[in-house]
Order: sequence, then C-alpha cells, then structure tokens
Amino acid sequence: MAGADSPSAALRRRDLCARGIRLAGKMRSDVVDLLDTYVERQGLDASASVAAVEGVPPAAVERWDEQTGTQRLLENLAAYRAFRALLAQMLEEQQEQLGEADAALGRALAAVLLQVSAFAYHLEELLRLESRGPPSEEGDGPPPRPQGLFEQKLRGLGVLRELAQWAVRSARDLRQLAKPGPGAGSAPSPAESP
Amino acid sequence: DSHVQYERIGADVTMKCGSMDWDAAVTWTANGTDIDESHLNGSYLILKNVDLTQSGQYACYEGSSWHLKYQTYLRVGTPPREPVLMCRSNNYPKGFYCSWHLPTPTYIPNTFNISVIHGTKEMVCEKDAVPKNRCHIRYLQLFSTVKYKVTLTVTNALGKNFTTLTFDEFAIVKPDPPESVVAKPVPNNPRRLEVSWQNPSSWPDPESFPLKFFLRYRPLILDQWQHVELSDGTSHTITDAYAGKEYIIQVAAKDNDIGTWSDWSVAVHATPWTEEPKHLTTEAQITETTSASTSSFMAPPTTKICDKGAVVGSGAVAVCWTAGLVVAAYSVLFI
Repeated sequence: MAGADSPSAALRRRDLCARGIRLAGKMRSDVVDLLDTYVERQGLDASASVAAVEGVPPAAVERWDEQTGTQRLLENLAAYRAFRALLAQMLEEQQEQLGEADAALGRALAAVLLQVSAFAYHLEELLRLESRGPPSEEGDGPPPRPQGLFEQKLRGLGVLRELAQWAVRSARDLRQLAKPGPGAGSAPSPAESP
Repeated sequence: DSHVQYERIGADVTMKCGSMDWDAAVTWTANGTDIDESHLNGSYLILKNVDLTQSGQYACYEGSSWHLKYQTYLRVGTPPREPVLMCRSNNYPKGFYCSWHLPTPTYIPNTFNISVIHGTKEMVCEKDAVPKNRCHIRYLQLFSTVKYKVTLTVTNALGKNFTTLTFDEFAIVKPDPPESVVAKPVPNNPRRLEVSWQNPSSWPDPESFPLKFFLRYRPLILDQWQHVELSDGTSHTITDAYAGKEYIIQVAAKDNDIGTWSDWSVAVHATPWTEEPKHLTTEAQITETTSASTSSFMAPPTTKICDKGAVVGSGAVAVCWTAGLVVAAYSVLFI
C-alpha cells in the first residue's frame, strides 16, 4: 500500500472521484434520454418487463453499505467493461438493422459508449491508486449475441435500463469512496447517523 | 351468553330468542329498554332496514319468569370500500414505509393485511405501533430494476376489499421537508435576506446521498413566487428582495439523482434590513436622548419643569436649575 495514503494520492483520489461523480451524472441523464429514443425507434413497450438478460451486469446489490472501497471499484469496473462490450455490439446491430436511416440513434449510442469507456478509465485509475491495479481483461470474451432481431432489441432495452441504474449506483459508490476516513481499500467507515 | 352480530346498513334483521318456540311469550329489550310488540313476529324480533343508531345490546326474556334467554350485541356497519394505500421512502437508502386508510368508515372493526413482493421474494413489512395503519420495510437490495408490488387487504365481518401498488425503488423516494429554516435580514443591505436550513433529520446519509433544494419566496403582498434551485449547500442569500417588505420563504428537498420533491417546509417570515429614520434637529435629539433614559422614572425634561412655574425672581430660577441638575444626575445613572 506504499504511497496509497500519501497526500498526493489522496488528492488524486478525490479529484478522480469528483470527476467520476460528474461523469456518472451526465451518463445517467444521457442514458435516460437514450432509453426514450431507443424504446420509440425500436417499437418497444416502455413498460415491458425485461427478465435479467445474460451478460448484462445487474446493478442490484445486497448490503451495499457494507462494501469496501476496493469492492466497489472492482464491481463497477467489471460492470462498465461489460457495458462497453455490450454497447459496441448494440451499435453494430443498430447499424445492421437501420443503417443510415437512424443516424441519430447511432450517434446517441456512440456518445454513451464513449462515456462508459471514460468512466471505466476513471475506475482503472482509482484502482491503480489502491496499488492493486485493475484486473486484466484477457480472457474476457465478447458477450454472446442474441439470436433474432426482437431478442436483440429486448437486450438493448435491458442494457440501457441496467446502465441507468448503474450510473446512479456509481455516483453513490464514488461518494462513499471520497468520504474522508480510513483509506478506500480498508474496512468500511463506521456506521452513519442513526 | 354473550354474542356479537354484524349486519349491513339497510339490511333486515331477524333475531330469534335462543331456543324458544316461535309462539312463546317473550320480551325483547334494546340497551335495557323494552321494545314495542309491533316489532315482534311471534317471539322473533324483526328490525327492518337497520341503521347505525340501532347498534346495541339486545336481550330476550321469557314472558313470565323474566329469565334471560338470549343476548346479542348488534353492530351495524358496512363492508370495506377499496382502501387507499401510499408507499414512500423518506429515509433512503434504509427502506420505505407504507400507510393506508379507508375512504369511508365501516363502523365495525377491520383488520388489515399487507404483503410486499419484490420479484419472487416476499418481504415482511413490520407494523408500526404509532401511527397505526403503517408499516415499514428495510431494503435488502439497492439499485434494483425489479419492481415492488404491495397489496393491502382489508377484511371485516361483512366483507373484504384490497388494493395493489406497484413501483420501483427510485420512484417512491421523497425526503421530508428541510428543517430549522431560518431567514434573517443582512445588516446594511436593504435588498438581502439570508436563508439557511438543515437536512431533514430522517435522511440518514446526506454525504453519500446528497439532497438538492428548491427555495421559494415572495413578499406577503404579492402572489407570485420567486424560485431558486440549489444543487448543494444549506444556505442562500436572496439579493432581490423589495426593500422594507415582509417576505414569506419556504424550502423543499429532493435527492440529487432520484425520486420526487419533498413537501414545502414550514414557512418563515423575514423583512430585509431598513435604515433607522434620522432625527430632524440636534437640540431635539439631546432632549430626546435624556428623556429616553428618564421617561420611565421621571417627569418630562428639564424645560417643562422650568416652564410650569413662571420664572419669577431668582428663587424660581434656582429651583429650576436644581431640578435640572437632579434630572441630569439621574440620567447619568440610567444610561
């Protein structure tokens, strides 16, 4: 843990957290807008219940308040790496399906993909500060592609919904990380207000 | 022996006198008062189109012996209408509560049963002692996209009814209003008001789950509100207040990312600082200051004492002068 608690590391962590929180906020807002557009363009029902789709990391978590800083970073990073791959596939699918007919949707997807990549980078940097370093991505194959047009659309819906939830969760995770107290990698800070 | 009987408003009720034959001679009482024979059909008591006033203790006595043969407590009421249910999280991310009530009374006892299902999981909503008709639940999972389904069933002796609410975790988040709202004038600033407040005490973790705020203010004499949205901090300075006008100010809170705005806080009133009006002449100022310190204890200023008695000869002047000294001495004491 050499250097992890140095003043410059603490400053860098706070800075990365602050930027990450802002990015998560923007990402959520863009994903929510994209969801509306996606539902409309793909002819889906907004209230459709999408069962947990394979390969889409669920944002739901138990005992969230008990997680350590490192756990938060690792789970977030795994999720955003998965979203990066999923969104890349969605972009390909969208171009295959609609091509130039819906350039706006393609651009919106690409913009979100960029933000997801940027956020993943922030998380990797924060993990480097933990002297842990981010886990390697070797062996992470691309997610399985759904067969059939309708299944692809449903997966797209699932991806965007979970990403919207993750964006909210990530902002909360980073705020926990940014709290002053014992280093992010150690045990969680003592219980909050009654 | 004792017995309770529930009947709907408007129903026709027939009471039998226990095991007595139809043609037995009996007397019925309602809350101890004899019931007229016109309501009897043989030994049966007939109550047509019952209303709430007919609730009470009914008893039947054998004609000659006055033995109590049957007793019942009649309670007239209605089956329950569809209940009104509301769920809300004012302490996110700890959990949420649901509260309910009936739109119209049934006049008879009701039991409420609430079930909360999250996906396939059944959760337990713990009933609160106070207020009744409320229960709370702790979140087991956060950031879930799976909806919660809450079903409330109300049952009484005359029927049952239910209602269902379906919502997701974020939608029901609504903090309590901000607390301890204080508005103060700013010295030497006739158009400013300094407003400060605190996070609602029910919000458990404002650091990780920061609130944003909405301030509204208007002078009492106008109907139009001014609005300011504040993404952080628990204070704000209004800089465009109308000089000298009393203002009414309120604040509302919302989680930064999810849910809905709280109700408005208790209103506070404040008037911006205004300059004190200046005195017109310096002489009047001096007399005023002395009279201000002495008015509660003494007669009005020196000049008046002297005026009363016309100055006649040196004696009077001396009196006047002395009086002035006394007043001055007292003034020094009281300043």
